[in-house]
Amino acid sequence: MSGRKLMAMALVLITVCLIPFLASAQEKLIRIGAMYPMTGRSGLYGMDSVAAAEMAIDEINSKGGVAGYKIDIVFTDSKSKPAYAVRVAERYITEDKVHFLFGVVSSGVGLAVTEISKQNKVIFVGTDHAATELTLDNFQPYYFRVSNNTFQSMTAGAMYLKELQKEKPWKTISYIGPDYAYGHSQLEEIQYNLKRFGVDFQMVSKYLPKLYEPDYTSYITSIIKDKPDVLVSGFWGGDTVAFIKQAKAYGLFEKMLYFHPDAGGNYELMSAMEGEMPAGLVLSARHHNNWPDTELNRKYVAEFKRRTGRYPTYAAEGAYAGIYAIAKAVEKVGTPDNTEALIKALEGLQIKLPEDPEGFTSFIDPQTHQIVQMQAIGISEPNDKFPPAKMMLGKWKIYKAEELLPPKELIEKKMKK
Amino acid sequence: MDVYFIVTQSISGFTMATLLFLVASGLTLIFGVGNIFNFAHGSFYMLGAYFGYQLVSVWKVNFWIALVAAGAGAGLVGAAAEFLFLRRIYGRAQEGGFQILLTYCLILIFDDLVKLIWGTEYKSISKPPGFEGALRFGDISIPIYNFAIIVIGLVVVLAAWWILSKTRPGRIARASAVDREMLGSLGVNVPLTLTIVFGLATALGGMTGALAAPLRSVTPGAGIEVIIDSLIVVVLGGMGNFWGAWLGAVLLGEVNAFAVAYVSEWSTLFSYLVMVVTLIFKPEGLFAPTRLRKV
Repeated sequence: MSGRKLMAMALVLITVCLIPFLASAQEKLIRIGAMYPMTGRSGLYGMDSVAAAEMAIDEINSKGGVAGYKIDIVFTDSKSKPAYAVRVAERYITEDKVHFLFGVVSSGVGLAVTEISKQNKVIFVGTDHAATELTLDNFQPYYFRVSNNTFQSMTAGAMYLKELQKEKPWKTISYIGPDYAYGHSQLEEIQYNLKRFGVDFQMVSKYLPKLYEPDYTSYITSIIKDKPDVLVSGFWGGDTVAFIKQAKAYGLFEKMLYFHPDAGGNYELMSAMEGEMPAGLVLSARHHNNWPDTELNRKYVAEFKRRTGRYPTYAAEGAYAGIYAIAKAVEKVGTPDNTEALIKALEGLQIKLPEDPEGFTSFIDPQTHQIVQMQAIGISEPNDKFPPAKMMLGKWKIYKAEELLPPKELIEKKMKK
Repeated sequence: MDVYFIVTQSISGFTMATLLFLVASGLTLIFGVGNIFNFAHGSFYMLGAYFGYQLVSVWKVNFWIALVAAGAGAGLVGAAAEFLFLRRIYGRAQEGGFQILLTYCLILIFDDLVKLIWGTEYKSISKPPGFEGALRFGDISIPIYNFAIIVIGLVVVLAAWWILSKTRPGRIARASAVDREMLGSLGVNVPLTLTIVFGLATALGGMTGALAAPLRSVTPGAGIEVIIDSLIVVVLGGMGNFWGAWLGAVLLGEVNAFAVAYVSEWSTLFSYLVMVVTLIFKPEGLFAPTRLRKV
């Protein structure tokens, strides 16, 4: 390559690198450093979160931003690896000087990034990872979570089972869930809450296959032998699809009630299963495309579909909520630079979200920094309004947000640790 | 102890073993013949599953035709990958390290390729018509589709054994595992043999991906989760040992099935325990011929 060509290339490169700085010099920006998995199994949740965050930012920026600031976000693949995400978060803080860390689908990554947020005193808005530890045992003042955790869904689940016992007496439970923090905390929390509500039950077996186990045949025949009345499931993502497909041919769903209150009602399960999805399963998720039937939810779902060509998974709404929470906090404080004031603003912040039914507004609990939201548990039934899914949830039972928080003693005990 | 349950659980273990074997057989074949450790073998499994999805769910092709076509498709991609990339590193010093790095790159590339083509949503294939229900013998029930998988597995193991040991191409393939130079000087086109074997092995992986798809979810990254268990199977059976892989798969499937039933909370531990014990006491594989030890 000639010297002249090299020089020209160098000039082009320098210009390209400088453009972002030139732009940011003119505009006042709220800088957000987001991390989401964009490859592999959880890539779907990452891509949906990115799309929903961009949607929220476009909505806000097109109205002129907040307090004179436009929102600027950078996305990096977290690769679902804690050590890698930590390096990304550090780079965001030292080089990009972000005001907020944002995102993360895996609780394992969340637990690593919350440490970086604490050390550097930079706010971390967790949009979609459910391990309760983040807002209890590992609580730190710079962390906020804007989607329900497993304690909340398992409390709603225990309430559902308690009511069910009156209509259709049941006694025995088996549990199956992945062998990591998420699966273990659901197992512990469903038992804790059933006991707390004075439900008479017996745990007959517990199964903890590894995450992403492709073959559940042996688990299925063993669960059928245990003859539980209820199978509580804590599966996540594609594992639910594999389990349901494999269990269906064994007639497992006719032999016991399949109960999956944290992530069983995820839309991607319905869309992947299409016509094979069994009816009568009791499921929930952190956001539903067909509940609540409010203007805001309908608009949110339709706009997401228009932008991406697909219906959103639950993860998307967490990212959408996170952007609005940041915007509201900055609006209150007037600047993204005063971190301590932003924390005060986020504590107790009320924010109307697509998943809020009429008459309720999500809010952030000032003590644990956990968002407090309603939980709707439904039953799978034919519904083809959200293709390619042929089943959606219906016959909803709604659980009040305030009742789903851990009891005071538990919060104090866990936070002390 | 309930006899019916023991039979049911053994069959469950056997179903799992068959799918494990079908994936591992390709892995062990490539290793046995070409001395290539194909870390990306799971990616061909994933490719096969996506090809199956495209054919069955999108283009509405008959399931069994799609199964063969998905295998053929994955095999073509495999042969091309061998011809274009792997061939270039044969005979290098520390070839093993290059093999792992190169095939690992293939995993990343294939994962992103399927994401670009089919998106990140979970895909699925319905079972072929007539295979949805279950066979019942008293208290024992086996889904018809699981039964079909077991039969296909047995056919593959017998066919592969016959081809490898009784036919001329099979003997050439085995000979290339022993001494490539000598085989070349006898007038056999060794590079072509390796490309064909690589293609066949990846075709086996691809067909298994499509065969397993009605029972699993088809997602990017689906290759990674089958490769670990397949590796255990290959280690148990002895690297490159075809029958060993089958027996290794059956052992692993049954250990897993009964560990799940009787020590459910610790069940995942056992498959790894079996591997660790094997590696310590019989590193050449449980089913490797004993005379190899004396060499």
